[in-house]
Amino acid sequence: MAKPAGPSAANAGMFPDLRRDVAFPVAGMGLLFGAFIAFGLLYQSLFSGAAERLVTVAMIDAIIVLGIQIYVGNTGVLSFGHIGFGAIAGYTFAIFAIAPAEKAKRIPDAPLGLADLDVGSWGAAGVAVAVTVVAAIFVGIGLARSGAESGAVAATVITLALLFVTHEVARNWPEMTGGARAGLSFRIGGALDTRTPIYVALAGALVLARLFAQSRRGRLAKAGREDDLAARAMGVNPMVQQMIALLISVAVVSVGASLRVYETGSILPENFFFNYTLLTLAMLIVGGRNSVTGALFGVAVMTVGRELARRLGQDGFEVFGLGLDGAPLDWIFRENLQTVFFGTAMLGFMIWRPRGLLSDWEFDEWLYRQLTRSQSAPGVPRTAVGADHGDRLEVAGVSVVFGGFQALSNAGFDVRSGEVVGIIGPNGAGKTTLLNVITGLVPAASGQVRLNGVDLIGAPSHEVARAGLVRTFQNLRLFGSLTVRENVEVTRLMAIATHDDRSSPETDVLVAAAGLWEHRDRRAGELDYGNSRRLELARAAAARPRFLLLDEPTSGMSDAESQAMVEHVQTMAALVSAGVVVIDHDLDFMIGICHRIYCLDRGAVIAAGTPEEIQADPSVQAAYLGLPKSD
Amino acid sequence: MTELLQNLIDGLGRGSIYALLALGVAVIFGVMHLLNFAHGELITVSGYVAFWTISEGWSWYLVTPAIIATAVATSLVIERVAFSRVRGSSDFTLLLTSFGVHFVVFAVFLLYVSASVKTFPRPGWVTNTYSVGSLNLEVFDTVVIGVTLVTLLATSWLIQRTMFGLALRAAAADFDTARLMGVRSDTVIRGAFALSGLLAGIAGVFWLMRAGNTVPSAGITPMLKGVLAALIGGLGSLRGAVLGGFVLGLAEVLLRSRLPDTVASLTEGFVFLLIALLFIFRPQGLIRVAHAERV
Repeated sequence: MAKPAGPSAANAGMFPDLRRDVAFPVAGMGLLFGAFIAFGLLYQSLFSGAAERLVTVAMIDAIIVLGIQIYVGNTGVLSFGHIGFGAIAGYTFAIFAIAPAEKAKRIPDAPLGLADLDVGSWGAAGVAVAVTVVAAIFVGIGLARSGAESGAVAATVITLALLFVTHEVARNWPEMTGGARAGLSFRIGGALDTRTPIYVALAGALVLARLFAQSRRGRLAKAGREDDLAARAMGVNPMVQQMIALLISVAVVSVGASLRVYETGSILPENFFFNYTLLTLAMLIVGGRNSVTGALFGVAVMTVGRELARRLGQDGFEVFGLGLDGAPLDWIFRENLQTVFFGTAMLGFMIWRPRGLLSDWEFDEWLYRQLTRSQSAPGVPRTAVGADHGDRLEVAGVSVVFGGFQALSNAGFDVRSGEVVGIIGPNGAGKTTLLNVITGLVPAASGQVRLNGVDLIGAPSHEVARAGLVRTFQNLRLFGSLTVRENVEVTRLMAIATHDDRSSPETDVLVAAAGLWEHRDRRAGELDYGNSRRLELARAAAARPRFLLLDEPTSGMSDAESQAMVEHVQTMAALVSAGVVVIDHDLDFMIGICHRIYCLDRGAVIAAGTPEEIQADPSVQAAYLGLPKSD
Repeated sequence: MTELLQNLIDGLGRGSIYALLALGVAVIFGVMHLLNFAHGELITVSGYVAFWTISEGWSWYLVTPAIIATAVATSLVIERVAFSRVRGSSDFTLLLTSFGVHFVVFAVFLLYVSASVKTFPRPGWVTNTYSVGSLNLEVFDTVVIGVTLVTLLATSWLIQRTMFGLALRAAAADFDTARLMGVRSDTVIRGAFALSGLLAGIAGVFWLMRAGNTVPSAGITPMLKGVLAALIGGLGSLRGAVLGGFVLGLAEVLLRSRLPDTVASLTEGFVFLLIALLFIFRPQGLIRVAHAERV
């Protein structure tokens, strides 16, 4: 069934492709939800008594784990703090939901007249979500900023501190929380008498988690997760995506936490602390943190595993009807075996299978691929090369000093749209440093980078990209666990959202133009060298650049591949009407593709001209071969 | 004025222990990019060794070296069993590995020892005080500050003046290049874990002398203080970690004494607020690594 390939025309909405990104996820998550519930009901009919409670608890755990997945899975930042947010939500819910008569006994001195307030359980859940999301905004700013500055590790420590602090506050503020011993309670044995709200919340959490992952924001967040630097170079500002993911994630966790408190009928500081953090994180990690399907799968696997561990700890092998009392393994079957189970599961998976059981696999994506396998490659329009659209890039007087080393001194070049300009020079001449200055990765001591007259020097990376200067990376910085198509698509989404004055080729056209059609659904991390280079090119082109900056596009390629790359670069530049600045060592490639060439040596431009002039220039030969100049 | 001086000295005493813990965290972060959430477990294990040896009738003079030796040995064993298998993995994997180690150690004590608090007698002089003018100083604080200063000087000498220190600094700057230049990665990583264990052991002696008890979860608080202090100082900077430890200690003592009685028990919450503010306005921590030389 050959259908027109790819999503319909430039769609700057929340979802790139309604069928793939909304219809399939909703249907797929509906099926998963049904399977999860069916499994739970089956389990509970097989094992009587406590099994019913176990299934209820597993469903609530699933809501919270899915909430955590929205942040951890999409941003790649490990958070210990979500259970701390859960504590804030849980206490807020309890304070607002418990009847005034009961509060008068437990927290008569609560400030702000909270002791007399009665808003009912629905209202309380709403307040809990609102309060927690406000707290998340404050924490999120610190998270995003320190994460951007010092890496994801710093963000993780802040989340850990949050967990610890909510716990301390809960213990030491008895007027509000009932303290460490008594806590707050509705009535013993649970206050929730129907599962309906749990079903609704779980189904909602599943669909929301999956839709966020497919949405424009979610995709941009994933680009940042895969490679922060490359995402910025494509125009993504990961701070924004992380904040949005955090808020949605915290809202879902708040609902789950409220249900958890209501189901238990009480809340104590220990309910939302380290042990529960370990439990929820282990479920997420074991199932596969990058996948919503995986998160749900992890909840099922770990719940069953925990129950087995608990009963083994209680009764040893008698669980299986084996009368091995006093058997040699009795030393291991003790109370608290579940904690050992969770700790070892976490450690074992980190060492041997860090991406979890399902890794990136999503049920609905698999369904979609099964139904669209036979798509044919789209035609690549033949556009005239070399048309000038009036864009000018003028780089002048750029100097960079590393310590005592003058990496660039007064370097510069200029290029117009439709033109291909090359920069050559021996190793260490400063070619990549020049690109790094232009794209905002290295600060310059002086100089100008003027795009159509606007000076971009010193602008942050993602703003340079949005202005229209987009680069590839010499050392390949693809979004490794996204597919080839997703790599291109996420960049294109960014471009559509930030400047809609220029037309943009379809994702599939770009993929086909780079010669990657047959690899479109493979993960970028699995590609060989040549294909990775071509994907770098397609991804940069998808950002709708005014100028493509290519850092050694043929490095590591065979001669035949380099020659083919000339055509790929020309097609790509023509497709997006961009000019090209290219750095490379392969002189045949450079002469084949460049209109003009600049030669850098020791940080300064020593020659400029057509490929023929450069080849004939004695100072270029001297720089390359180390010969003394003839003069 | 006297009160402020008193607070400063108390804060230095508290901060000294945090600084030792943070330095241990920073040394490992430098060579492995691993933020070690299992750092506190060195104190958990040491705590049980203190409990057992003291029950056997050992004096604190013997228990002290036993604690330090235990911390170093535990550090090396954890490296061998867990961290050596995930070298070079993503931050995410490294962090969760250390979190997993924390829980396995916790669970083993919970399962095979006891969930209840094990107490042991503290040395008699811990609660002694003496007066200088109008200041009322604890003997304990004085000893802690003194020993910490000596330890920090010795560590600084080790890192600045020895081959091991040079290898450590090279590995922290660029691990792959350091290896190409002939730095043996096993040696430098194990050395870093031994040094980290040694620092945790010294901190652990003081921690346990003051606490006089241990539980399976005893490691959580020292781990958190060490990790937070390292972060406040600026991740990756050894000097920053020490500074962060003192700043955290001082902030806690000053807040606790200045806050009105009704909210004094919420000091931890206010400290967190300050830390969050610090990261909003100075996300790189106190010492910026890119521009700061490493100690």
